[in-house]
Amino acid sequence: MNKQTKPKSINRREFIKLSGSSVAVLAGGISAKDAFGLLQKRKPKPKNILLIITDQQHIDTIAAGGCRHVRTPALDWLKRRGISFTQSYSSNPLCSPARSSIFTGRTSSEAGVHVNGRPIRRDIPNLGQWLYQETDYETVYAGKWHLPRSFTKNIPGFRVINTGIGGLGYLCDTVTSRACEAFLRNHSKSRSFLMVASFLQPHDICEWLRLNTNDPGQLRYEELADKLPELPENFQFDRNEPQAIKNTRQAREPFINGYWGKQHWRYYLWSYYRHIEFVDAEIGRILQALENSGQAKDTLIVFTSDHGEGLAHHQMVRKNTLYDESAKVSLIFSWPGHIPEDITDRSHLVCGLDVMPTLCDYVGINTPKMMRGRSIRPILEGKRVTGRDFVVTEVGANKARMVRTKQYKYTTYNDKSIEQLFDMKTDSGETKNLATSSRHASTLAEHKKLLGKWETQLELAPNVPNTDAWWYKA
Amino acid sequence: MAKKKNTRTVIGTPLTPALLKKLHAFDELPRFKQSDFDPQGNWGITYRIWTCHGYRETGNQNVGFLRIERSSDSSNETFTLDVEQQVVEADGILNIVEAHIKCLNNQLASPVQWELTSGFINTNNNTAASLLTREKGVIEENVMRVERDGRIVKRKVAEHLSCDWCLFEAVPRLEFDKKDLPTFDMLEGLSLLRQDQHLSYRDVYAQKVGAKTANLCKFDQLGRGILPYEYWLDTKHRLLVVTSMNKAYISDVYARQTIKQKTEQLRKSYERMKDARRK
Repeated sequence: MNKQTKPKSINRREFIKLSGSSVAVLAGGISAKDAFGLLQKRKPKPKNILLIITDQQHIDTIAAGGCRHVRTPALDWLKRRGISFTQSYSSNPLCSPARSSIFTGRTSSEAGVHVNGRPIRRDIPNLGQWLYQETDYETVYAGKWHLPRSFTKNIPGFRVINTGIGGLGYLCDTVTSRACEAFLRNHSKSRSFLMVASFLQPHDICEWLRLNTNDPGQLRYEELADKLPELPENFQFDRNEPQAIKNTRQAREPFINGYWGKQHWRYYLWSYYRHIEFVDAEIGRILQALENSGQAKDTLIVFTSDHGEGLAHHQMVRKNTLYDESAKVSLIFSWPGHIPEDITDRSHLVCGLDVMPTLCDYVGINTPKMMRGRSIRPILEGKRVTGRDFVVTEVGANKARMVRTKQYKYTTYNDKSIEQLFDMKTDSGETKNLATSSRHASTLAEHKKLLGKWETQLELAPNVPNTDAWWYKA
Repeated sequence: MAKKKNTRTVIGTPLTPALLKKLHAFDELPRFKQSDFDPQGNWGITYRIWTCHGYRETGNQNVGFLRIERSSDSSNETFTLDVEQQVVEADGILNIVEAHIKCLNNQLASPVQWELTSGFINTNNNTAASLLTREKGVIEENVMRVERDGRIVKRKVAEHLSCDWCLFEAVPRLEFDKKDLPTFDMLEGLSLLRQDQHLSYRDVYAQKVGAKTANLCKFDQLGRGILPYEYWLDTKHRLLVVTSMNKAYISDVYARQTIKQKTEQLRKSYERMKDARRK
């Protein structure tokens, strides 16, 4: 049976989503099925979907977005062909947890992926399984998965065309982009596809850190001396941070064998940007193949990363903290003729949880139950929507959570250590903790309340630790 | 029961031939007589591709090989490279790229004409027909024309141009001196453009490889879109090792065999996992 022709029943949510005129049609006696058809006519469906994911890409690493240190022609092209969000957060800035949220629309603690290398709970479908079940899209996957295995032929709901190699983004990503290019060149144009191209870079910065832990005191390549990027303004860190953050910092490479000098920090930045340029070219290969195949105008492209990179802000490297450098990620949607071009959305709060419901919205199907994300299609279509009031990011095996509202960011740990509150409008570098300021007591209380309310709705997976501590706090 | 202690040691310093030896990436560097090798002649070298996870004890592995054969043309202006690269991935998927490249006999071995195929062999040892691609490329007067599936894509390229595989041929022909070389663009895998590359000779370094010490001459390559490449040659200009951040190409006549064995192991392990899931 053709899955697309299955009779659809219109539910309450869809009814509410109908515009006033459609409601009038319903009131005039047209059946729900016909109304659904009308709704679908009004909401065009992309023939294909291309979801591109990078690993550990700091949000400010696209030249067209203002980054001076890189050349990224592919991501520049994509950014100019769609809407990119600057207030976009990972749901959990660590590989497996973040991916579990992107692919399920549920929080990592609900999906049972609170740390790396855990599988998604069996009763929660992933994007591939859901689209395979509900639509005629062919679902293919290339590259890193990490739920639980990083590279595997066995991904539920997807046909895996390329697995990848652990710890070597260079070859892994090249082979992944070659596989995706080949798929686009040889694929029958009559069949719709969802293709996930999941790159490992710039994650190799972790290997770089382990191979450059020792600061040699002088540059390995002296000609780079005048080419190294400057350190960020918030390079210094708050000495009164929560202990968990201090522990994370101290355990990382710049602090393991003594302390890095500023030049070594800057060399790390230079090296990270080369990783970005590397993966940009691989993304370019796929975008070029899509263009050459004549399918670009029929394809909705989504670009994001699982989490960011410390990039020397707060003297942090890597991820797994709630500072913006680790927690923020690029999120770009592009579909020529359907999504406005070259728009940077600086106001709406969005997150990795939104990918699944947005794609379900675009292909015209219901989401699985209990989505924590929401469709951002109305924003992408330029409709006046207020969007959500806050996003929540969790981290560290369910040990810490963050609430980001339009103006503030509140961070708390389940062990009752120091709390953090930052005014993101006046202090985007998160350098002045306002949590102990009496002037901000009511703001702090409001954010605690928001978080408590959010937490009570979650259906945490049985294997997730620290749940009691959160209940106690709430 | 006591918790097992994590015994992984961070390596801490960039890869060099001496460090590769300590990490058991090879037993000993190949040694040759001068008469064995003429960079301008006909030769073939196989490099094992080895990757480093950043720890001494775990995660370092052989992931493929690169075979490059050079054939001189009747004219002294061009020569031909035949390239074969196999990369083995998780669960035993194999990517095979083959290229036949006509190069200019200049400092950068600039590619002027080529044919390239890329294919995948699945875990069941069958070719994935839907993932096979072929392309032909020509560069004339700084314009590259690539034909894919009957469609021609044109692109302007820099006057000074090379390709990552071509540099394995070009570097051994360079003098060991610190003369300036032109900045160039690199077509990685004959397709991805890496701009503003610069190649320079550094020095000769004594590398303690096991009980012996070898004097190796080093060129560095820096540029956009790559982590620095370091080309390590013996004093007879034979390219023995290339390192770039966490990967290394190591001259190894047994590389093909090593990768074949690894592929078979990965496929067996994948079949065992599949069986376990069925049960």
